[in-house]
Amino acid sequence: MKVVELLERRRRNWQELERSCDQLQASPRVPKLPPPAMSRFAALYRAACADLALAHAYQLPQNTVLYLHRLVGRAHNQLYRSRRFEFQKWSQMLLHDVPKQVFNDRCVQLMFVLFWGLFILSAWLSYSKTAWPDFAEQMMGEQTINQLEEMYKNPIGDSGRGGDENAQMWGYYIQNNAGIGLRCFAWGLLVIPGLLTTMFNAVFLGSAFGYMARPEVYGTAPNYGPGGHFFHFVTAHGPFELTAICLSAGAGLRLGLAWMMPGPFTRLASLQKAGKAMMPVILAAVLMFVIAAVIEGFLSPSPLPYEVKAGVAVISSALLTFYFVVLGFPRRLAV
Amino acid sequence: MPSRQQPIDSIIQVVTPENIAFEYRLAGPFRRLPALLIDYTIMFLVQIVLSIGFSMIFGWVSPGLVGGLLAISWFIMSWFYAGLFETFCNGQTPGKMVCSLRVLTDHGQPINGLQAVLRNILSAADLLLGVVGLSVMTMNRRYQRLGDLVAGTIVVVEDRQWLTGVAKLDDPRSIQLAAYLPPNFVVSRPMARALATYVERRRFFSLPRRREVAKHLAEPLLERFGLPSDTSYDLLLCALYYRTFIADRSQDERLLAEAQAAANPFAGFGQAMPGQYPQPPYQPQPLPQQQLAGAGQFGQGPT
Repeated sequence: MKVVELLERRRRNWQELERSCDQLQASPRVPKLPPPAMSRFAALYRAACADLALAHAYQLPQNTVLYLHRLVGRAHNQLYRSRRFEFQKWSQMLLHDVPKQVFNDRCVQLMFVLFWGLFILSAWLSYSKTAWPDFAEQMMGEQTINQLEEMYKNPIGDSGRGGDENAQMWGYYIQNNAGIGLRCFAWGLLVIPGLLTTMFNAVFLGSAFGYMARPEVYGTAPNYGPGGHFFHFVTAHGPFELTAICLSAGAGLRLGLAWMMPGPFTRLASLQKAGKAMMPVILAAVLMFVIAAVIEGFLSPSPLPYEVKAGVAVISSALLTFYFVVLGFPRRLAV
Repeated sequence: MPSRQQPIDSIIQVVTPENIAFEYRLAGPFRRLPALLIDYTIMFLVQIVLSIGFSMIFGWVSPGLVGGLLAISWFIMSWFYAGLFETFCNGQTPGKMVCSLRVLTDHGQPINGLQAVLRNILSAADLLLGVVGLSVMTMNRRYQRLGDLVAGTIVVVEDRQWLTGVAKLDDPRSIQLAAYLPPNFVVSRPMARALATYVERRRFFSLPRRREVAKHLAEPLLERFGLPSDTSYDLLLCALYYRTFIADRSQDERLLAEAQAAANPFAGFGQAMPGQYPQPPYQPQPLPQQQLAGAGQFGQGPT
């Protein structure tokens, strides 16, 4: 049989396959073809594959081979479709894989130490007036300090912030804080930008805390100054938010170190392994940011007494400890 | 078969579960940038539509809620828009659909949800200073940006190509010339490929150019066939093309076999050199592959 006849004979099949591809492409979310057409599609695809495999033996012209490559590629992508999220696996992932991953992860531990070390150091420097007298001013700038004092001038709950503004701030907190976390993660891949972002956040937050804790800013009962109101505000959501920052920065650092120190793997393989392992961790961090934003949006600005907010902070710290230590502790050692 | 050299090209091979290797063209930065810009435009427009929609629905109740919802929707879109689309639309965002691109894994398989989200979260690192992703793309052979490297994905072009079939021969003399070619000359596969490539493209060449290109193959052939040396090279290649791809030569082959048999009555089929003479009509057990494609009938041609 000659090539012309072969082409003439196959052309109909190929064109039918092409039409099916078009139909499938038109409805990307749910492939809509009746079952017989679907199985016919698979058969046509296999036939086209066979034609392509034998193209060399058939001596098909180069253009036709190229056409077949494209056709098989398109059909392949319609037949084998992207796998969705496997939601039933998510609870297993969040409650089992992530704590174990984090508990043993040196990068997260290192980031935790780095973040809290810098945080405490700069808090102390900005609190103390002798060690580095104008540390807070240099780190935050006069303008930011004035803004902070202005913001926390009134007692929390009396500032006239209703549910309306709370909802707005809730959205804003999610967008801003989770955005910072995800950026720490993504930039961690390049190591230096990730470290810088994390360190900047640690130093900035630390000096704000230190400055606000100064006696003259903090004030005394019953008329607390801006510092007192500041701590009143930040206590409840602090644990979730700061943990989530450490977590995402640590996951980012893991990615960065994966290509710098690949160990027994190639750099690429090590990077892909780390990416696969850190993906659930970053999702857990986003979840923590969302929880923190809910607390920050609705509980923190409420006029509830400080004891309630401190209680929430204690409970959330206990939950986090349970999550990372109890769920994350290596089972084999425990038994 | 001569070893096929990998051409320097943006093409990768994918082996499917059907055990077929086919080729994809990778998408380079200049193909992917428009898709990205289209996606940004869509995100921007959706955000505008949402802001109008939210303020019409909730604006009466609470303007703060509108702001909060808008901030959340912007967060979701700026970090998860592409990841979600690539998960639920089979590796394509709207921009990629327009530019006919698709995200696949390194091995050409469909991606899963976590890969899609990961590669798009890491686009923050790629877009840092605007050059990181671009320079990483130029440093590997598959145009992968950082997010692609970590998630193990590639972006391929999925365009359609028109089936052209065999080239039309405009000059009837080539068909006449085909009759003068020696019937026992077998066109090898590489030569058939070269012929097909030449004849399919010759209409884009000027006459002197055709002569120049065809000369290298046609000159030794003319000598070998004993044809007059002033025969048009282009015409000879067209004739060969006609004979290889179009003409029905079953008659020729039968005649040739008879002539051979008459010349050498002791030469049976067993001694016939494979590929040079028609194969015996009896084939004991066709391979499953041949059955599938109906290839048993094509074994008779000059393979």
